[in-house]
Amino acid sequence: MSHAAIDISNLRVQIDGQTILHDFSLAVDPGQKIALTGSSGGGKSTLLRCILGFVEPQEGQILISGHLLTGHSVWSLRHRMGYVAQEPDLGSTTVQEVLHRPFLYQANLHLAGNLDRLPDWLKRFGLNEGILSKQVGSLSGGEKQRIGLISALLLEREILLLDEISSALDKENRQAVVEALKNVQATMVIITHDEAIFELADNVVKIQPVGEGAGV
Amino acid sequence: MNIQEITMVRLAVGYGLLIFPFALLLWYRIPIVGRTGLAVIRMTIQLLFVGLYLQVVFQQNSIWLNLAWLLIMILVADLSIIHGCEFRLRIFLFPLFFALIAGTSIPLVVFVGLVLKDASMTDAQYVIPIGGMILGNCLRADIIGVRGFYESIRKSEKAYLHTLAQGATQSEAIRPFIAQAYQSALAPTIATMSTIGLVSLPGMMTGVILGGAAPWTAIRYQIAIMLSIFSGTAITIILGIWLTTRSGFNVYGVLNRSLFVKDQR
Repeated sequence: MSHAAIDISNLRVQIDGQTILHDFSLAVDPGQKIALTGSSGGGKSTLLRCILGFVEPQEGQILISGHLLTGHSVWSLRHRMGYVAQEPDLGSTTVQEVLHRPFLYQANLHLAGNLDRLPDWLKRFGLNEGILSKQVGSLSGGEKQRIGLISALLLEREILLLDEISSALDKENRQAVVEALKNVQATMVIITHDEAIFELADNVVKIQPVGEGAGV
Repeated sequence: MNIQEITMVRLAVGYGLLIFPFALLLWYRIPIVGRTGLAVIRMTIQLLFVGLYLQVVFQQNSIWLNLAWLLIMILVADLSIIHGCEFRLRIFLFPLFFALIAGTSIPLVVFVGLVLKDASMTDAQYVIPIGGMILGNCLRADIIGVRGFYESIRKSEKAYLHTLAQGATQSEAIRPFIAQAYQSALAPTIATMSTIGLVSLPGMMTGVILGGAAPWTAIRYQIAIMLSIFSGTAITIILGIWLTTRSGFNVYGVLNRSLFVKDQR
């Protein structure tokens, strides 16, 4: 029996007394690409944070590839997921260090060979190898987004959770990202307002702030 | 003991030195006259009380009395750290208490039991002042180290969570924050060790010289106490952080925001 890559049922999330998500359900099949859209404050980023176990829902459950997300299972389930935040905080080091650091973690040691694909990813995203020696602080917003994305792609996770990954990109780079993601065989949940990203999605889910209703 | 006595009358003369700071506070209308006066009164009462109590402790030379006194000092230091860091008492009281006990007692036992020639843990003359000096430094180190650790994770929470999302274990994710906090907390002791004797005569050495010992003996005491302080601060910081991480983070590895009193207001 094959499980949904992500199966969310009846999620209710309240933060600081405010209900962010109410009775929210969503199933994403393996390999499916879902675009999440809707006005700000609707809970899109909160939903991704719930899937990663960074926000605990008050009600409902999340299954990742058939495994219930709990405080115990989250540590292994995170190894199936890659995440790129809207404005990634990459620390205060060089790009080289940012891209190599995840492969020093015990869970990713066996993936160190993936770093061989780094030059290819840089090229596909319109970046040259000179960027590796730059300090993260000197990067533009668009460069940070692409480096964050490359870092997640190098880990080759089954599931990618991408939050507004193209918001700081120009048209040309946005297209390069879309083209690159089209060829990635992973389940994706992408928060976006970008028409170009809708192009690669199998489904668009609109999330509205609680009270305004949600639609698929 | 070859030391000049200070009578109460002569001590009162010493209070005459307060004329200068108080005159300046009044002249420049600096609004801390009341607070300063209260601090002087508190210092006097606290030290007189401690002096009376220590007289008894020193006469008895009982290991139990010494331990009781140390435990009270550690509890006060514990509460002082929690208050100074604006942490939740319920979460930090016991972990920091144990971190302070370990940070104080390990170097104290080595100092009194092994470094000093003929002393034992019953000798209040050694146990109380040496324990107090180590504890005082542990307190300062914990305030810098433990607070620095949680504050830096709070400030860089996005980067910390990103690390978890990349598959890091909690211990891998907090490692750089521990290193940073550890470095900051040890920095004052390292700076003191680097300049000691050049800038000022250190406290213990001064005390030993005033007690009538030769400078050569005083210096050896000072070296031993600096080593004890450095070791004690290193132990208490790392234990302070490790013992609090259990309640400092939830089971998903996310920082527990209720650690900070100001986040609960």
